[in-house]
Amino acid sequence: MRALPELFDLRVKARSLAYLFTAGAGLGLVTLAFPHDDAVKEPQLVVLAGIAVAIAGLVYLAAERIRAWQLHVVLGLGTLILTFANYYVGQSSLYPLMYTWTALYAFYFFPLGVALGQVAFIALCYAALLVIQDPASPIVRWLLAVGTPVVVGLLISRLLERTGVEAGTAEQRERALRQSEARTRLVLDSAPDAFITLDRDGIITTWNVAAERMFGWSAVEAIGKPMRGLIVPPEFRDRHDERRRALIEEEGPVATEVFDVVLERRDGSRFDGEATVSRVVVGDDVILSGFMRDLTERQRREEERDELMRAQTARAEAERVAEMMSGMGALVDAALARPGLDEILANLVAGVQEVLGADAATIFLADEEGDWLRIGASSQGTPPTSVDPIPFGDGLAGRAALSREPMFAQRPDPADLRDPGLHELEIDSLLAVPFLARRAVIGVLEVCASPPRRFTADDLGMLRLAAERVALAISHARIYEREHEIAVTLQRSLLPERLPDLPGLKVAASYRPAAAEAEVGGDWYDVIPIPGGGAGLVMGDVAGKGLAAASMVGRLRSALRAYALEGHDPAMVVQRLNRLVWTEAAESQMVTLLYVVVDPSDGVARWVNAGHPPPLLVGGNGRPQFLEGGTSVPLGVMPFPSYEEKSAAMSPGSALVLYTDGLVEVPGAHIDDGMARLAERVRDAPEEPKALCDYVLGSLIPERGAPDDVALLTLRNVPMSDRFREKFPNAPDALASMRALMRRWLRHAGTGEQEVAEITTACGEAATNAIEHAGAGGGERFEVSGRMHGDEVDVSVRDFGTWRPPREGDQGRGLSLMRALMDTVQVTPTPEGTTVRLRRTLRGSGGNGGPD
Amino acid sequence: MREGLVGLEIERRGDVVVASVTGELDIAGASRTGERITEAVPTSAVGLVVDLMELEFIDSSGIAMLFGLARSLGSRRQRLTVVAPPGGPVRRVLEIVDFERAAPVHADVDDAVAALD
Repeated sequence: MRALPELFDLRVKARSLAYLFTAGAGLGLVTLAFPHDDAVKEPQLVVLAGIAVAIAGLVYLAAERIRAWQLHVVLGLGTLILTFANYYVGQSSLYPLMYTWTALYAFYFFPLGVALGQVAFIALCYAALLVIQDPASPIVRWLLAVGTPVVVGLLISRLLERTGVEAGTAEQRERALRQSEARTRLVLDSAPDAFITLDRDGIITTWNVAAERMFGWSAVEAIGKPMRGLIVPPEFRDRHDERRRALIEEEGPVATEVFDVVLERRDGSRFDGEATVSRVVVGDDVILSGFMRDLTERQRREEERDELMRAQTARAEAERVAEMMSGMGALVDAALARPGLDEILANLVAGVQEVLGADAATIFLADEEGDWLRIGASSQGTPPTSVDPIPFGDGLAGRAALSREPMFAQRPDPADLRDPGLHELEIDSLLAVPFLARRAVIGVLEVCASPPRRFTADDLGMLRLAAERVALAISHARIYEREHEIAVTLQRSLLPERLPDLPGLKVAASYRPAAAEAEVGGDWYDVIPIPGGGAGLVMGDVAGKGLAAASMVGRLRSALRAYALEGHDPAMVVQRLNRLVWTEAAESQMVTLLYVVVDPSDGVARWVNAGHPPPLLVGGNGRPQFLEGGTSVPLGVMPFPSYEEKSAAMSPGSALVLYTDGLVEVPGAHIDDGMARLAERVRDAPEEPKALCDYVLGSLIPERGAPDDVALLTLRNVPMSDRFREKFPNAPDALASMRALMRRWLRHAGTGEQEVAEITTACGEAATNAIEHAGAGGGERFEVSGRMHGDEVDVSVRDFGTWRPPREGDQGRGLSLMRALMDTVQVTPTPEGTTVRLRRTLRGSGGNGGPD
Repeated sequence: MREGLVGLEIERRGDVVVASVTGELDIAGASRTGERITEAVPTSAVGLVVDLMELEFIDSSGIAMLFGLARSLGSRRQRLTVVAPPGGPVRRVLEIVDFERAAPVHADVDDAVAALD
């Protein structure tokens, strides 16, 4: 019978019982207060009520520690008290009904069996009472007739139930036992090891599936046979017996031993095994149980595992090599991205060190004759210049270079270490591999390992690979560097070394090569003195980089100078250049060009723009303004584009700024923003052209350099004052410039056009003389200075040659012209040179003033 | 045709060669211009008109060139006439050096050509 879970704990049950007893006693006493039969024995009833109350009190107080069986007894006592009460009350009362209470309590609080027992006890008590009070009453007869079979039936069923439970338990146990055995069997059969039990005499009693598999004997064949004859090879049988006996006779309950054994299969083949044997005492008997393990299987597995490990190691190695290879590729790429061989070498060393897991790496470079090594780069940071050249054959690296073979040294001699940075390290192994280019040793790559890292001959392959890459990188870098040097030299040579002196104008230029750019760009600028005193400003940008772009710049520069000096208009000059680019340049060659001619004498700038960013004009008021318009296509994109000339007034004090796109093109920003920023900087910049260039470049180009080349050219139309002093080259071409300046100065002073022409002519004559004198050992320049004293113009032309007396003809005519045109002409010859002083008082000021 | 600051155009008007010089004539271009004009005058020509109406500047070198032309043409029995605007800087220089000693100076090209014919 299944036990119900207890609904109430014992405490609740006990207290309920106490209430029940108290209520019963109370009710009984209350009935005594009513009129009743004389037969009722009041004193006895009061005593019974007292007993009931006392029991109730005891139970209540003991509720905390009362036990279930005690409750059952108390309830039984209750039934007895009721029965006595019924006896003392006599037949005529309702007391028997109180049995229902105890019955209900029993059913409510006790398991059914106990409740039924209580009910049966109630029935017995009541029946006994009835028999005593009135044996002849029909109720007694009925009770006996019905109650007896009921009670008997109950007792019988109770008895049957008990035996049934016991029988069920035995069956369950048996089943469980069978299941357990089956499980054990299953476990044993599924075990990978053979499980065998032997009796005291060594006869096999258990033989599991693994044993069948292992030895080739079935359980049916094996069980009942002695083990020694079945699976123990003849030469080991005695030993088997010995061990068996020793185990069986050993003291103590259980003994387990492990033996290495040789066992024999059914087919006669043998194998190494391991036996774990235990002695088990079963009752009086002793048996041996043993697990046999086939070690060949384990050995095979171990071999397999080793094999797997080897395969995995090999694969890992292969992956490492592959990774290293790509690492090397990346190494070269990364190294070549750096400008300059030194940086490439430093990068290579770091890369090789990382890829090979070396503790240090050094690249030695060979000289061109192949006699010496020097340190190119070292992971230890050894400065290349700090080490004397290492002769081929010296040290491990030198030997590698001389023999052209890789060298390996375990615990190398300190003399083998030619990189002083290595002396700080504890070195286990050192490897040096020469690298070659065009069959010549160009260097040695050396790596070293500190414990626990150790290089072996196996690492040589990787190092060779690394050396090949390094050689490749170095030769690329060298070729590249050479070309780069040529291109840089060429480009530098194409930019004017110094800008010409232009009377009345001041020019300055700056060129900043790109920071990270390894290749030179095609930016160029030029300032060409235009006959007549003007200045031609050129700012151009050849698309492309390197040598090709630089040589294109060279051709364009020469051509432009030639066209400009021939006196062509700006538009014609640009058209001719376009023709040149279109017909002669490589395909898709494109050039942007801005050509501006500034004539200081009338203060006009004329420009032609072939696809270039517009020039910036800073007016006399200091406000910058881009000279838009006149823009056409770049050179080289069309055979006959039209280039139109535009012009703008350049008042004295104004400046013109030309630049290449590198200055206004910032990656990620719109070019308009770049131009706006440039205008802003130019507005804030100082007036003086050189200072202006420095300021603009300094504030626009980041510290680490611009991403592209930047060229900047500034021209300022210097305002005239009462005095001037200017030097000119001793060349006929300079005369026009000198006259332009003179006219400008005179007009600035308010001189009338006729007097301007006359004074200019006189000064021209003086300057012509100066140039002629230069042929007689004078300097390279002559100087013109002018001053205004009120109405008087005072001009001096000074040369640094030797004065020659005027000859007949032209020169005499020159002097007479001067004298005719000026008030006074004063020639002062000195050993250092001759000064011609010309003075004239202006007849009318104002007049036809020029633009100044 | 233009070389440096000097522009030169040669024109035949019947038996007369008209050479128009523009720009600025100084020591840088004078002798070369003189040579080219001389080359442009065939022996068959009656004379040469040097048109300086558009010339902006002349100095003693230019004057020397003109005297030279007058000399060489004279030796070939050809006549020279110069045209320069009255009151201008070029005319002023011509007057100072008294160029009319060597050749007549006119104020108009057509007059000059007619005078030679």
